[in-house]
Amino acid sequence: MNLIETLKSKRKQILSTWVDRTLDSYVSSGFFKRSRDKFANPVGVNIREGLSSLFDLLLSKAPREEYLAPLDQVIRIRAVQEFTPAQAVAPILELKWVVRQVLSADKNTRHLLSELDSFDCDIDRAALAAFDMYTACREQLYENRIRELKSGSYILTDSGCPSSLARRGIQDKPPVH
Amino acid sequence: MAVVKVDKLARSVVEGPSLMTGSIPTKPWMEIPVKFKPGNYAYTTKPDILKYLDSQQGVSFPNAREWNPEDDDWKLPENWKEIIINGLADRLDRFRSLKIFMDCCVRCGACADKCHFFLGTGDPKNMPVLRAELLRSVYRNDFTLAGKLLGKMAGAREMTVGVLKEWFMYAYQCTECRRCSVFCPYGIDTAEITMMLRELLHLVGCGINWAMEPVANSNRTGNHMGLTPQAFKGNIDFLCEDIENLTGVKVNPTFNRKGAEILFITPSADVFAEPGLFTCMGYLLLFEAIGLDYTWSTYASEGGNFGLFTSNEMMKKLNGKMYAEAKRLGVKWILGGECGHMWRVVHQYMNTMNGPADFLEVPRSPITGTVFENAKATKMVHISEFTADLIKNGKITLDKSRNSHVKATWHDSCNTARAMGLLEEPRYILDHVVDQWWEMPENTIREKTFCCGSGTALNTDEIMELRMRAGLPRANAVRYVHEKHGVNHLGCVCAIDRATLTTLMNYWVPEVTVCGLSELVGNALVIEGEQRQELDEGLRTLV
Ligand code: SF4
Ligand code: SF4
Repeated sequence: MNLIETLKSKRKQILSTWVDRTLDSYVSSGFFKRSRDKFANPVGVNIREGLSSLFDLLLSKAPREEYLAPLDQVIRIRAVQEFTPAQAVAPILELKWVVRQVLSADKNTRHLLSELDSFDCDIDRAALAAFDMYTACREQLYENRIRELKSGSYILTDSGCPSSLARRGIQDKPPVH
Repeated sequence: MAVVKVDKLARSVVEGPSLMTGSIPTKPWMEIPVKFKPGNYAYTTKPDILKYLDSQQGVSFPNAREWNPEDDDWKLPENWKEIIINGLADRLDRFRSLKIFMDCCVRCGACADKCHFFLGTGDPKNMPVLRAELLRSVYRNDFTLAGKLLGKMAGAREMTVGVLKEWFMYAYQCTECRRCSVFCPYGIDTAEITMMLRELLHLVGCGINWAMEPVANSNRTGNHMGLTPQAFKGNIDFLCEDIENLTGVKVNPTFNRKGAEILFITPSADVFAEPGLFTCMGYLLLFEAIGLDYTWSTYASEGGNFGLFTSNEMMKKLNGKMYAEAKRLGVKWILGGECGHMWRVVHQYMNTMNGPADFLEVPRSPITGTVFENAKATKMVHISEFTADLIKNGKITLDKSRNSHVKATWHDSCNTARAMGLLEEPRYILDHVVDQWWEMPENTIREKTFCCGSGTALNTDEIMELRMRAGLPRANAVRYVHEKHGVNHLGCVCAIDRATLTTLMNYWVPEVTVCGLSELVGNALVIEGEQRQELDEGLRTLV
């Protein structure tokens, strides 16, 4: 069996390790791993779906555009959680480690470890795309902040309307107790 | 011992090397200290706002100061611990529900995975059961025999600065949405525990500005934004001009008119900010179409009541203002607009706080004659109840084709759905104003609806990431109906929702626009004598 066929045959094992490790980055991950209801468990199920499709696309050597959607399913979530940028995109690179673990655990597949270069490159490309995506998500967050600031309250509360002037008056007075 | 179960819920184990360092717990939850950093906490109350509020009658907000959650030293008053413990004792005495909630949780875990903050973060302290445990552990330590004797073994812990910091973190990562309580076999309402945590924090001057500034503004000028009566009226006048341009219908609302039959109160966001403005245009058109004898008030110019997210006394005072104004104007009853938490306050607390409103009459629709028995105590009718009744009695003409640009889904706002049971009326109205609309999945609607993630004064921009992760469960369900049915509009009846869901959609499902239900009614409404332009986007069309 060549490398790709082997990876396909070990799909279940690879995915389960990969998804579990990714979900282990959450402090309390039991429910995220367990529940398969997409609406009750959006983080767990979206990450599982996203990584699974990504894995299949990597094996089929799909063009970059095709794996943007599954990557988005994972990265858009991690971009708003308490991760550093590196931690947010790390799961994509971790696939390398997972594949090595799985291949080396089986003596019949150990010899394939030396053939991983090209597959590694594909993972790197996906990881770079993930990083672009992470940055785009963060920019979107800041844009949304600006939009909210511009759209409402601040203009009315912090500009020179009579009530804000009245408030400034209060501020100038000694504290009332 | 039951407490061990809580630890188990919170634990997750991983072995082997990982690139993802730093987020794997190695300690029980009680020993993991909170870490404040930009993006995970809302800015603290400005001292001048707090001083102003503390100077007001009927409320107390002591210990105003500049402080920063990121600092080690929160500049707490010297006897802070005494203040907190006494404050807790006082509340256990006054609120029977608090005492019951402290005692009766069996830690079954049914609520653990139902909170959108937990679902978006995976942080065990966002499990409702643990959120409550933050307070319960201190309660056990100081108020129960087992806690006094067995200490940690009985899940008790001493009140420390670390615990106080934890309270501040997690009392402001709960939107008091009450989804968890739907699943609790004992009906424990974690929202009320959060309310108590926030009250206790206020005793030592720890609160957030996004709650307190609107509260101060409402106390002073009657609305969150601090709009003066002139500005408030001016904004509505602008909307009337827009309506005339779009539809050729001239609407002439009145303000502070004594002797009007009905007082109309809605969140001020309807009057000053998109997309609420379009909802407000919907109300104005509807009232014109049926010739309603009603008035706006420039004093009770806010339906929202951030007092609910602050303290009992503050909530009472802000709610009282609406009824005082109804009395002053001599109206028969109050019609309320599309607000979420106003309705929670009215339905669950008003009668014991400020009731009975016996100077008002049991609401009766002057158009259909329907008596709203359900509002017998509060004398306040929801705009959706009122509109649904008009439709049922054939009193308005609706042309669905005017909403042909809309493929809708329906978001049940937490407060109207869970706190007042307003589930059928909005759906009935939707059936009559749009051609087609689709429900989101069953476990994300009606009583089980997911919060927008930004309620209870968490709709501030500095915690944008927190809001986005907390809103994920809601957005995820919207995305599903968008992908499956091509849904492009998300309808709701809550001013906070309209603003925060708009941002949430921008991030997660940008193809979906957020709109108010009365906006869709306004779009579809056929009014005698109108000279309506081609409005491809209803009242939002730019002409
Ligand atoms: S569902 Fe109720 S009883 Fe069970 S852990 Fe949650 S709060 Fe406690
Ligand atoms: S009330 Fe809502 S936000 Fe608060 S703990 Fe319960 S589910 Fe979470």
